[in-house]
Amino acid sequence: MAGRDPLLPNAGIVARREYRDRTRSPLFLAATFVLAVLAMLAALAPIGMRSLDRQTVTRIAVVSGDAALAQRAVGLVDSVLNVPPNGVADPGWKPPYSVEIATDAARADAQLASSRLAGILHLERLATGQLDVSFRTFEGPASARSQLLSLAAFGIGVIDWSARLPPSDARTQFLVPTYRVDTVNLATDAGKALSPLQATSRAFLAIVFVVLLLISIVIYGMWVASGVAAEKSSRVMELMISAASPRQMLAGKVVGIGAAGLTQYLAIAAPALVLLGFQDRIATAVLGPDWAAGSQFVGLTPQLLFGYGVFFLLGFALFALIYAAMGSFVSRPDDLQTLSLPLSLVAMVGYLTAIVAIGGGGGAWVTFASFVPPFSPFVMLARIMVSAVQPWEVVLSVVLLVAGIALVAVAATRMYAAGVLLYGQRPGIRAFVAAARRV
Amino acid sequence: MSLEIDHVTKRFAATTALDGLTFTVPQGEVFGFLGANGAGKTTTMRICLGIIRADGGEIRWDGRPTADLPRGTWGYLPEERGLYPRMGVLDQLVYFGSLYGLAPDRARRDAIGWLERFRIPELAGRRAEELSKGNQQKVQFIAAVLHDPAVLLMDEPFTGLDPVNLILLRGAFMELRDRGRTLIFSTHQMEVAEAMCESVAIVDHGRLVAGGLVRDLKRASGRRTLRLAASGDLAPSWLSELPGVESVRQDAGGAELELLPEADPAVILAAVVAHGVMVTRFEVAEPSLEAIFIEHVGRSADDDTTLAPRAAAAPLSAGTAA
Repeated sequence: MAGRDPLLPNAGIVARREYRDRTRSPLFLAATFVLAVLAMLAALAPIGMRSLDRQTVTRIAVVSGDAALAQRAVGLVDSVLNVPPNGVADPGWKPPYSVEIATDAARADAQLASSRLAGILHLERLATGQLDVSFRTFEGPASARSQLLSLAAFGIGVIDWSARLPPSDARTQFLVPTYRVDTVNLATDAGKALSPLQATSRAFLAIVFVVLLLISIVIYGMWVASGVAAEKSSRVMELMISAASPRQMLAGKVVGIGAAGLTQYLAIAAPALVLLGFQDRIATAVLGPDWAAGSQFVGLTPQLLFGYGVFFLLGFALFALIYAAMGSFVSRPDDLQTLSLPLSLVAMVGYLTAIVAIGGGGGAWVTFASFVPPFSPFVMLARIMVSAVQPWEVVLSVVLLVAGIALVAVAATRMYAAGVLLYGQRPGIRAFVAAARRV
Repeated sequence: MSLEIDHVTKRFAATTALDGLTFTVPQGEVFGFLGANGAGKTTTMRICLGIIRADGGEIRWDGRPTADLPRGTWGYLPEERGLYPRMGVLDQLVYFGSLYGLAPDRARRDAIGWLERFRIPELAGRRAEELSKGNQQKVQFIAAVLHDPAVLLMDEPFTGLDPVNLILLRGAFMELRDRGRTLIFSTHQMEVAEAMCESVAIVDHGRLVAGGLVRDLKRASGRRTLRLAASGDLAPSWLSELPGVESVRQDAGGAELELLPEADPAVILAAVVAHGVMVTRFEVAEPSLEAIFIEHVGRSADDDTTLAPRAAAAPLSAGTAA
C-alpha cells in the first residue's frame, strides 16, 4: 500500500500542517526579524565599507631609479588624486591619498601584497628619454584611480621633459610616456574587474551567505528531525503511519518545513532587496555625491540572492531528508543532538571549505567540493560570489545535487519507514540497517 | 465478504513474530484478537495496514490483497496512544480525516457529531495536551473511525477507560457493527471480549491456537465452571483437593472452580456439604473465555510468564477462525 500511494494530496496536507505549525510559532517570528535585520546590514555593507574607506588614507608608492623623477612624480600624483571637494580645501578636509617614494621595490611589493599599499607607480626612463610608467594594483585599467594616474603619467612626462631641457636653445623632442596597469590577484564579476573595495564587500557577503546557509540548513534540518522525533515520542506517529505512507509523510515534512524556511528567507531578503533598490540614494545621503557618484556597489545583487535561494532549497532538501531519517530513529528528542552530530559535522566541512574558497585558497579540493553533494551547496555558492565560475560548472553542480537528492530520498524513505516503528532502541548504524531490511 | 489472514509469516531477525497465522473474520462482526504480549497481534495489524510487509502468506479483504485496497479501507487505533499535543482537537480530527480522503467540511461536520456522541463537544477547540487521558483516547478513536472505514483495527481500545467511557465505547462498537462495519480488537480484558465478541482468535507465539465462535469454543472445551457461594470456609486449599477440580479462584462472593471434563458437579456438591459448609449458591456454567485462553496458551493474557506447558499449537483451519 505504501509503495503505490500517490504523493498527493496527502503530502500536501502534511506539508500544510507542518508549514502552519512552524510559521505560527513566536520563535519563528523572532528569528525571522533578527535575520532580516542582519540581511539589511549586509545589503548596506558596501556603503559602510566605502564610508570607512572615505575616512582612511589610501597609500600609493612611487618607485624609480631616479630620485628627482620620483620626487616630481609624488608632487604631481598628489595634486591629481588629492583634489578637495568643489576645489576648495576646507580646514577639516583630509587628503584621501598619501603618495610616497619607495626606495626598496621589493618591500613595496610586499606591502602591496598585504594590502598596506593600494598601488605602486613604477617610473623608468628609457634610452630614448621616454618615460615608461606602470601602475601595479589590484584594480583593473578601467578603474577611476587607474584612469586618473594615466593623466598623472602624462603630466609627469611633461614636467620631467621640461626639467631636463638643456640651458641652450636646443630642443629635445617630447615623447608621450607609455602607461600601463599591471593588475594583481584581480577579482572579477562576470568577467568585469572588481575594485579591492568591491572584492572585499563581495567576500564579506559571501561569508554572510555561507554562514546563513549553514545556519538555515542545520536549523531547518533539525526542525525536520525534531518534528519526526516529537511525533514518535508523543506516539501520534502510530496514528499517522496508518493514515499516510512514509513517502507522503517524509515529502510533506520536507516540503512544509522547507516552505516555512523559504518564507523566512523571503521575509529576510525582501527588505534587503528594497535597500538595494535605493542603494544609490542611500550612498549619496551617507557618503555625499562625490564618493557615491560613479561608484559601483556590487555587494548584494538579485542574481546572488537567486543563487542563494537555489542552493538553499537544494541543500535543505538534501540535508532535510537525512535529518528526517535520523529523527525517525530516536524515541526521545533528547537523543537527537547526539545522532545529528555527524550530519552537522558534514555540513561544517562544506562550510569550512566554502570559507577557504572565499579566501582564494583550497585549489583542486575547492573545485571538487563545489560539484560534490553535500558540500556543493556551500562551496559553489562561495565560488560564484568571489570568483569567475563558468555557467556549465554551476549547471553541473546543480544537476549532481538534484541527482544526489533523488538518491538520498529513496534511502531516507526506507529508513524513515523502518525508523518510525522503532521504540526504545538505541539509535545506531546497525539499527538503521536492520530496521530498513525489516520493512 | 470477510477478512482472510492466510498463512501469514513474519520474522524479525531471529524472532518469528508470525508463524503461518491463519484465520478469517466475517464482515459485520466484532472480533476479538486475543493473545499475550508478543503473540503477534500488533504485527498482524501492521501488515493489514501495509505498514510492514509479510515474509509469506497473504491478507485479503473481500478477496482482494490488502496491497490493492485503498488506505481508507482501514481505521486503526494503535495501542500506543498519541495526538499532536499543541494542536486543537477539532483541527487534528479534520487533519486525520483529510489524510483519509474526507473533504475538510465533511470531516469537520462528522468530527463534531462524534464529539457530541462521546459527550465532549466542548473540547473541540482545546489543545490535546489539555485533555484527560480518557478524553484523549476518545479523540483517537474518533480519528480512527471518522472516515467510516470498512474494517476497524484496534489495539487494546479499552485500556485506561473508566466504566462510563467503557459503556460509551461499547455502544459505538455496536453501532458500527450494526452499520456493517467489521471491528477487530485486541485486548487483555477477557471479560470485555466475552461480552462483545461473537468470534475470537487466540494467538500464541505467532500461531493460532484456538479460534471461532465463542460459544463453539466453550462447547468444544468440555470444561465447566462451578460458581459457589456459602457461609463457611471456602478456602482454595481444600476446594482444589476435591475430585475433578482443576483450579480455584476465590472472590468476595465465594469461589469459582474450573472443572476438568470428567468432573461430576453432584460429587463436588456432596463433598462441600460434607465439609460442613452451608451452600447458598451452586451454579454450573460454561467456561469463561479466560479459562479457554489459559487452557490453550498456558497462562493468562496479563501474565508474561508461562505457567504451564504450551497447549498444542497446530494451526486451526476450520470454523469462523479458520
